Amino acid sequence: MKKLLLVLVFLGLVIQPALAENKTPVKKEPIKIGAFFALSGPAAFIGTPTKLVAQMAVDQINKEGGINGRPIQLVFGDTEGDPTKAVAIAKKFIYVDKVVAIIGPTRTGTGMAVKRLVEQAHVPTIMTVGGDPVIMGGKFGSYKYVFKTPQRSSTAVKRIYMYLQKKGIKKIALLTSSDGFGRDGRRWLTKLAPQYGLEIVAQESFNPRDTDMTTQLSNIRTKGPQAIVCWTIGPAGSIVAKNVKQLGIKVPLVQCHGLPGPKYVELAGDAANGNIMPSTKLMAWQQLPDKDPQKPVIARFVHLYNDVYHYNKDFPINTHSGYAWDALMILSGALNKAGPDREKLRDAIEETKGYVGISGIYNITPQDHNGLGVDSMIIVKVVNGQWKLEDY
Amino acid sequence: MENNLSQFFFSGIATGAIYALIALGFCIIENSTKIVNFAQGDFLTLGGMFMFTLLHALHVPLILAVLLAIGATALVGVAMERFTIRPARSKETVILVFITIGASIFIRGAIKILWGKSPKSLPYFSGDNPVGILGARILPQSLWIVAVTILVFLILNYFYRNTRYGKAMRAVAYDRRAAALLGINVEKMVMLSFALAGGMGAIAGVLIIPITTMTFDMGVVLGLKGFAAAVLGGYGNVMGAVVGGLLLGVMESLGAGLVSSTFKDVIAFVILLLVLFIRPRGILGRGEGERV
Repeated sequence: MKKLLLVLVFLGLVIQPALAENKTPVKKEPIKIGAFFALSGPAAFIGTPTKLVAQMAVDQINKEGGINGRPIQLVFGDTEGDPTKAVAIAKKFIYVDKVVAIIGPTRTGTGMAVKRLVEQAHVPTIMTVGGDPVIMGGKFGSYKYVFKTPQRSSTAVKRIYMYLQKKGIKKIALLTSSDGFGRDGRRWLTKLAPQYGLEIVAQESFNPRDTDMTTQLSNIRTKGPQAIVCWTIGPAGSIVAKNVKQLGIKVPLVQCHGLPGPKYVELAGDAANGNIMPSTKLMAWQQLPDKDPQKPVIARFVHLYNDVYHYNKDFPINTHSGYAWDALMILSGALNKAGPDREKLRDAIEETKGYVGISGIYNITPQDHNGLGVDSMIIVKVVNGQWKLEDY
Repeated sequence: MENNLSQFFFSGIATGAIYALIALGFCIIENSTKIVNFAQGDFLTLGGMFMFTLLHALHVPLILAVLLAIGATALVGVAMERFTIRPARSKETVILVFITIGASIFIRGAIKILWGKSPKSLPYFSGDNPVGILGARILPQSLWIVAVTILVFLILNYFYRNTRYGKAMRAVAYDRRAAALLGINVEKMVMLSFALAGGMGAIAGVLIIPITTMTFDMGVVLGLKGFAAAVLGGYGNVMGAVVGGLLLGVMESLGAGLVSSTFKDVIAFVILLLVLFIRPRGILGRGEGERV
């Protein structure tokens, strides 16, 4: 018995490397990129498809010859949405895996925790977080090496306010979640309202894990706003929609840019109808005019996502789907130009101009590490459970 | 304002009834083993997930789906007792409590693998036309929850006071050895209590999924609230669980409505702490009259 085991172990030792060598034909050394998202925890339903899309984008890049013949290799990590874990993984990426660049994480809180580290280590990082502070200076620290592909919260707020102004609305109420994302939204909503002639008549907040917001909505109802703007991601948004319906509030409910997706309609059911939100063009791309330069790009992405990789079975496309793709495409564009040198790569990312992506046309500048304007967003409305282009 | 006040109150009752149902589950385990079962919240998630599969994927009729979800979760409760609590053969409360924490993490992981990470929802049992009560608008689903909470409370109360099994369970909690000497099958009673607790969790899960939506880690937050409610009312007291749950729900809602929604949880927990400072055993808790 012992002999047999020994033989087996020996065989294993000999055969395994041989097999491994067979699998990877002589190739140039891959360029390592760290990719960490919230693969578990409350934001897992955003983080997991982000990871899938990242892999899909890398597959495409490598299929088309990689970066000057060198393939990109993603090193994955799970932040669990926890800032401490995110920092630990980022350290591993930088000092153990020695990655050239990082993409991710998913949540604003984890992004802020990692920001200082990557700034000190001079590692270009393209984040897929919602909140703005990761690319804001001043008290939020420097942002020389940090970029982000999702629209700024302020961009989404401006897009909402433009729409409300167009509709002649003057009085609004805010209902925001008490986490980092909600507070970021609230900061911009209150700051920008006067510029669009809007008066905020009520401000309420809730815990993102709450199961009932009728109390807050009752208070809002008393103040008589012409629209309610809600700022949260996850199931809480659909609970707000249900509560609005329950209380018989007739004014339109505007949700933030984090919610557009089939899940929202599934969770909110009938209550979703009539809800308005700013979104990337991905949510209503078939309804875009043909002259929109993003339309063919999105069409290719949707084809890959649904028909080639079949990700839509578990994760139907939502407004977040394109962010990781854009992050990797911007990164590979810069890598092609500057090569795998962290400093040169950072400069090249900052010089990205006119990249037509899924989430918009990116024009990154030293001041603006996002590069998307208000025109990258559309306003969509839920009509009979479908996403309708409401304002282009 | 009149209108709002009544909305705050009834919204609080609706949420509080959910807490009460979970608190009752904590009670059942306490009443047979004297341990805190931290997997109670996960029983709730599990019940909701079973319900989702039965109703959504297998198209089982509503009533049958409810019963099957409760039964299946009760079986998980039994399995948990059989494979984690019993083999430990420990009378140390701390050890057993840690085992339940482990079981909780295990169940949550299993749910994540089996049902995925994305949130699930189901339609309301009887439509979404809210019912008007004193100017407040309440979902029929919330009325279901309140009604079931009252019903479960009455049944449990009767069970513990008037039935042989109920009395035997309480005897086991009080003194295992003495109970065994009197011919009570202790292991069976503990197992039965885990089945009941599983079933209780499932009842809560099945009822709340249309209102709260269900994610794999839902049990953590709601379990904590239910635990707080049970402590507030007097841990292990059936009546206390209901009172504690409703009180916690109403406090949260009134705090959010009248003071500030930003400090909603803070207000509720400050009141909870105050109550426990004044009455450490909870509102209806009885002291353990130890005879020396």
